[in-house]
Amino acid sequence: MEIAARIAEGFIGMFQKGGTTFVGLVTGIIPLLIVLMTAVNALVRLIGPERIDKVAMISSRNVLLRYLVLPFLAVFFLTNPMAYTMGRFLPEKQKPAFYDAAVSFVHPILGLFPHANPGEIFVWAGIAAGITKLGLGLGDLAIRYFLVGLLVIFIRGLVTERITAIMWARRSVPEGQSQGEESTSAAEAAPAVETGGAAFASGEEA
Amino acid sequence: MQVVARGLEAIGRAVGNVVGILYQAGRDTIDQVIRNILPFMAFISMVIGIILYTGIGNIIAHTLSPLASNIFGLLLMSVICAIPILSPLLGPGAVIAQVVGTLLGVEIGLGHIPAQYALPALFAINPQVGCDFIPVGLALGEAEPETTEIGVPAVLMSRLITGPLAVVIAYLASFGMYAGH
Repeated sequence: MEIAARIAEGFIGMFQKGGTTFVGLVTGIIPLLIVLMTAVNALVRLIGPERIDKVAMISSRNVLLRYLVLPFLAVFFLTNPMAYTMGRFLPEKQKPAFYDAAVSFVHPILGLFPHANPGEIFVWAGIAAGITKLGLGLGDLAIRYFLVGLLVIFIRGLVTERITAIMWARRSVPEGQSQGEESTSAAEAAPAVETGGAAFASGEEA
Repeated sequence: MQVVARGLEAIGRAVGNVVGILYQAGRDTIDQVIRNILPFMAFISMVIGIILYTGIGNIIAHTLSPLASNIFGLLLMSVICAIPILSPLLGPGAVIAQVVGTLLGVEIGLGHIPAQYALPALFAINPQVGCDFIPVGLALGEAEPETTEIGVPAVLMSRLITGPLAVVIAYLASFGMYAGH
């Protein structure tokens, strides 16, 4: 009988521990999160998606805007997963790179703007909880996560764009000519810029 | 008189509009908290409760913590998560990243992992972000099927490079953060 009682106590104790954790998370994270998310949601609604579209069209023009500013604006204003619809302003060859950059930013943004991806907040909040437990402030970690995130998405955009270009070139070249790969990929790179411009122009008409 | 009335009406309408937007923003927020955040908190709390109570925490402390307390362990973690076959499997809902992140958070809180490593760890647990979602994400961007065909392997391969690279950058950027802890 005593053993059974001890097992029952252990069983309940396990969930009491979980319950304490739950209360800690709810009172520690949710109040700030609700107020902050309300403020940013209101801001996003006041600005409106039409204006973001206009900025997006301009942003597709150069590399720094495309893989740094555009992903940030997309994730901030449209949030996960609608942010990826911003890819429609870009030429086909840059869409995978833009997706890579945008999707890689849905977590680094959480430390400062949790409204962008609240369903996955624990990628950030899980580790941040440990810092809070040590009695340290989260600001330092949040801002560094954000800045490193921006640098990383920019690099991802560049690397993925390059890989996409290489794979694209390799595919359009018949197999017998694969020795001339280097030169063809270089030759492909030049027209890629032109088609980029053309696709952009057609996007503007639409 | 009429001008004043019209002015008042315009002001009233503008205020009503703004209040409506603010109210809707609050409604959206509460909706997301109830639908997405609270359920995940419940799930995470249960996992943490079980881990802390049963002593699985000690096993994690002995295996995961040494791995996460040095740059090479974190690099290894990021390379594993970025393997093109594994990354789409680890991606969905970021559940893996969230659970591993929470476990690391517990270990940081207990002092088993130095606080400075929080930054590179945030990138080490997450090189697979969005790898499960590439075709859908590209479709949302109105990409052609041909683009998706090339885009999926291109992103997966890119992650093998940029995943570990992100950890290195984060490691370098973490110097001077929470010094002494």
